[in-house]
Amino acid sequence: MKKMIALGFEGSANKIGVGVVTLDGTILSNPRHTYITPPGQGFLPRETAQHHLQHILPLIKSALKTAQITPDEIDCLCYTKGPGMGAPLQVAAVVVRILSQLWKKPIVAVNHCVAHIEMGRIVTGADDPVVLYVSGGNTQVIAYSEGRYQIFGETIDIAVGNCLDRFARVLTLSNDPNPGYNIEQLAKKGEQFIDLPYVVKGMDVSFSGILSYIEATAVEKLKNNECTPADLCYSLQETVFAMLVEITERAMAHCDTKDVLIVGGVGCNERLQEMMRTMCSERGGKLFATDDRYCIDNGAMIAYTGLLAYAHGTVTPLEESTFTQRFRTDEVHAIWRQKKEPSNMNGLMQESS
Amino acid sequence: MAAPVADMAGTQPQWEFNCDLEVDYESEENASMVYAALAVDKELQPDKVKRQMEVSNGKLIVHFEAVEARFLRASFSAFVDVLTLATKTIEEFGQGMEL
Repeated sequence: MKKMIALGFEGSANKIGVGVVTLDGTILSNPRHTYITPPGQGFLPRETAQHHLQHILPLIKSALKTAQITPDEIDCLCYTKGPGMGAPLQVAAVVVRILSQLWKKPIVAVNHCVAHIEMGRIVTGADDPVVLYVSGGNTQVIAYSEGRYQIFGETIDIAVGNCLDRFARVLTLSNDPNPGYNIEQLAKKGEQFIDLPYVVKGMDVSFSGILSYIEATAVEKLKNNECTPADLCYSLQETVFAMLVEITERAMAHCDTKDVLIVGGVGCNERLQEMMRTMCSERGGKLFATDDRYCIDNGAMIAYTGLLAYAHGTVTPLEESTFTQRFRTDEVHAIWRQKKEPSNMNGLMQESS
Repeated sequence: MAAPVADMAGTQPQWEFNCDLEVDYESEENASMVYAALAVDKELQPDKVKRQMEVSNGKLIVHFEAVEARFLRASFSAFVDVLTLATKTIEEFGQGMEL
């Protein structure tokens, strides 16, 4: 039988990516382009959408060329429905709607967060881990239960990546390749730990107060030569990552799961991975993590997740191929994960009979 | 400001600012494709900007109405961006595309 192939489009934040994958998770191509702003500046919706407008069509050509496929061989077109910034999301949605009509291919709308999880699972082979999803826009601790990815804990204000990105702006660190990477490199040179607020509220975390505190303190302390930018990067990383490890560990206790999967852009951070690995090994579990090729937003993760849904009968009619800034992880019915249940039930019935 | 919705509809259609846009695709099929792709996204502030579209003789005809010039400008500008993207997509990936 011919392998099913999907073309996926991701453009919910400052990356625009197009990926080609098959149902077994083989990535045939996955080009992307990142909108990098000058040091001290963040990315705004309108400018980011302009960036995506300029790059999306060449990326499609490059994705098809590298994968060595023609449009005829594609089974479905997948795009990020949300969550994310409105104007950038619209770029991918509009292109998919046109291609769907030109090539007579069905559309599948994909939740960005779920796509991160599925990409992480297929790349690492983690079967049913507790998932820590950390990026510039999202911070959630997630576990699969009863057909959905349930959110066990999350940020009550800004994402951890947003906290890091904005602190990088205070220090006017480069945004190339991304602010988090440059904080991580600088943190390696930190020698002094500066006490920062530590804000865990039950299963949830909060970062906005920490950011305000360090923004105010940083300027003052740096002026008086009481610490270096490296000390601040080191202290910020240690504090926020310890909070994330704490709520992840609590979720593991709730779910009785030993394995952890880290996904999302901040998941590339090796210090976070190291802290999480220590916690997992103390509990007799394993950490699953990936590198920047899969952690950071990309088209393949959308293609793969859309293809999973498509293979289980999901399609999105053209008229319903909308996008939305808010789209919670637990709104999605993960039908592709339920397929094992009938066989489990058979097993149970056989045991009882 | 605080008038009930029913009254507003009756008394104050102050859609003073409007503009028209016509793109000739010389193809009913292509014009309809762009129409279908762009009709999915509704105007974000329907109380401030209205957009009507139709396809006729291979042309896409769009009519905007707004209560203030700045809403008209923002909406029109965003629309032209995605219209251009949709059109370019057809040009590059339609019949006779080359990789």
